Formats: sequence, C-alpha cells, structure tokens
Amino acid sequence: MKVNKDQIKKLFLSTMGFIFLLYVYFSFFLGPLNRSRDGMLLEIKDLQSKLDASKEQMNKAVKLEQQAKTSTGRFAALKALNPEGAPIAWFPPRVRAFFANQQVDKVVARLEGSTGFKQTELTGWMKYSWIIDLPQADYGTLGRAIAELENTAPLLSITKLSIHTLPEQSQFQHVGLAAVNIIEKK
Amino acid sequence: MALHLNLLHEEILEQRQRQRDPLKIGMIALVGCGVLLFLYYTWNAYRTLEIKSRLTTIERAWKKIEPGVTAAQKRVADLEGVIKTTRALDDYIDNRFFWAPVLQKVSRCVAPNTQLTNFEGAVQDENREIDVSLEGIAAGREPRSVAEDLRQMLLEQFHQSYSDVKAEFKTLEDLDTIVNVAGTHMATAHYILTVNFNPAAMPKPGESPAATRARKQ
Repeated sequence: MKVNKDQIKKLFLSTMGFIFLLYVYFSFFLGPLNRSRDGMLLEIKDLQSKLDASKEQMNKAVKLEQQAKTSTGRFAALKALNPEGAPIAWFPPRVRAFFANQQVDKVVARLEGSTGFKQTELTGWMKYSWIIDLPQADYGTLGRAIAELENTAPLLSITKLSIHTLPEQSQFQHVGLAAVNIIEKK
Repeated sequence: MALHLNLLHEEILEQRQRQRDPLKIGMIALVGCGVLLFLYYTWNAYRTLEIKSRLTTIERAWKKIEPGVTAAQKRVADLEGVIKTTRALDDYIDNRFFWAPVLQKVSRCVAPNTQLTNFEGAVQDENREIDVSLEGIAAGREPRSVAEDLRQMLLEQFHQSYSDVKAEFKTLEDLDTIVNVAGTHMATAHYILTVNFNPAAMPKPGESPAATRARKQ
C-alpha cells in the first residue's frame, strides 16, 4: 500500500490527536478520579482504625473507672484535708487550735515560703514551709501532740525540731518546729 | 480461455483506496479506544461512588461515636492523672519521717541523773539521713560514765528501729558544779551528743539480699 504525503500528514495529525486525547483523559478525568478514590480509601482506613480503637478506649475507660475507685476516693480524701482559700489564712489558726486541744498554748505559725514539686505527677501541688513556735510545752505533752499531728495530718511532715529548756520555768520547754505541708494549687 | 475485461478497474481501485484510507482507519481506531477508555472511566467512577457511600456510612458511624470516645479519652487521661498523683502523694506520705517515736526513744534513755537542756533534730537529704543533737548535763560519781551510758542507751534504742546509727560525743567536759540528786551530792559533766541515723529500718539478720530484692519488685 502506498501512502502519499497527504495521508502521512493526516496520520501524523491523528496520532497527535490520539496522544492529546490520552493526556486529557488521564490528567483531567481518570487521574482526579483515582486520586479522590485513594483519598477516600485512606480516610476510610483512618476512620476504621479510629472506630476500632474507640471500642478499646471505651472499654479501657470503663475498666479504669472500676480500678481507679480506690485512687479517686483517696485523692478526694487527700484534697479534702486542706480547706479552700489561701493557706496563710487557715493554716496558722488550725495549728493553734490543734495544739490548744493538746494542752499546748500560745502557738504561733509563720509561713516561711512555698515551692513547687519537680515530679510531673505533683505539678498541681505546692509545698508550703511553716515555722511553728511553741513557747511553753512540756516534753510528754509535746511528744503526744506531735504523734497526733503526724498521724492526723498525712500531708504534713516535720523537717526540723528543736527543744530548749527554759531557765526560769524548768517544767516547760521552748519548742520550734519546721514543717512542710502539701497543698493543692487553687 | 475466455477473455475477461474489467472496465470498472479505476472505480474499483478508487473504492479500495477509500476503504484503506489511513485517516478513516485511524478514526475508527480512535473511536474504539475512546469507547474503551470511557468504559474504563465509568467502571472507575462506579467504584469511586461505591467507596464514597462506604465512607459516608463510616463517617456517620464515627460522628455518632466521636463525642463518647472523646469523653472516654478525657476521662482516661484524668483517671490516669489521678492515679499517678495519688501514688506520688502516697509515696510522699509513706516516706515522711516521724519524730514522735524519736522523742519516745530519747525519753526512755534519759536517766534521772542526766538532764537534757537542748534537743535539735533535722531531716537531711529528703529523709535519707536524720541528724539529732542532744545537749545536757550528766551527774554522778563518774559523770562521764553516766554520759557514756546515755550514749550507749541511745545507740541501743535507735538500733531497734533505724539503720546506720551513729552516736558520738561532740563535747564531754567536767563541770565544777556539784548538784544534789536524791539527797546525794554529785559531780557533773556537760555533754553534746550527735546521733545520726537512716530512717529506713535495718534488714533483719535472717533476710537474704535476694529476698529483699524480690519483695521490692
């Protein structure tokens, strides 16, 4: 078969048209369709994994709720140990009342400072340092009072204790306590 | 042999040429390809629509569950935080040092012929070591041995509950003062005793280190 010049030209144009058609088809029709389908498949996969994880998460929350009953109760009890308001407002009167109940009078409590915790679990809590001065206490009463204080105030710890005899009143001693109390940040 | 004359030769040739026109063949091929591509596109579009409907169903299901899941996640985080904080607080509470037992032990050691005038106690290094300083006057025929008895008693008492107990005289000096104890005149000595100990209890002699380690785990 002989192909003349005109036919070669037509063939060339047809080929060009075909290539252009393929380009348009893949770039503007099939390409976007496939991309959108792949995107949707990814989204389905993502949502499916979220749905699967959600069931686990819900179960975990229910189980944890049951397991954490003791902890939440204990946490609430520890929080309830310290009343609302600025510690400087309630701690000194509370200490004075406590020692008065233990037959130790004239107690003075001063705030020395406060610091935060380095532990990440206790970032919501602060350490308050107090100086408690007991100018007239006798050793036996003091011992019982300190035992009671240590047993009833779990968030309080005594870091320093000094007892001096009073030359004028040998039955009494002058006592100084440095104590740290943990209080939740408000 | 009969003579066959083809008078339409030129017309037939033209017709054949028309049939073999490359442009026409190309156009037919192009249309064929176009139809195939269209069918392929339609099939893909159908699949995409099916996937889209699946996605819509899943999205609807997720929207229903999402608030509950978010609340559950928040609750889990809160509870984990509460558990960790409670544990840390309990550790802090359990590791506190109690002074009342120390005062009780000291009161058991002080005999009537020894007097304490000064007591200083401090917690060092986050409850790892306790320093106690006792100052007082001992009276007796041998006041120094009375003070030594006090030191021995303190060592004995503190060993019962604490480890690494050390009790040493910082000062022990005779005084010129004579005191009357229960109607008897006695010489006196001034002492300053320092007692250091670790608040952790001594391991019992029968316990092996391996057993202690196993219990800690």
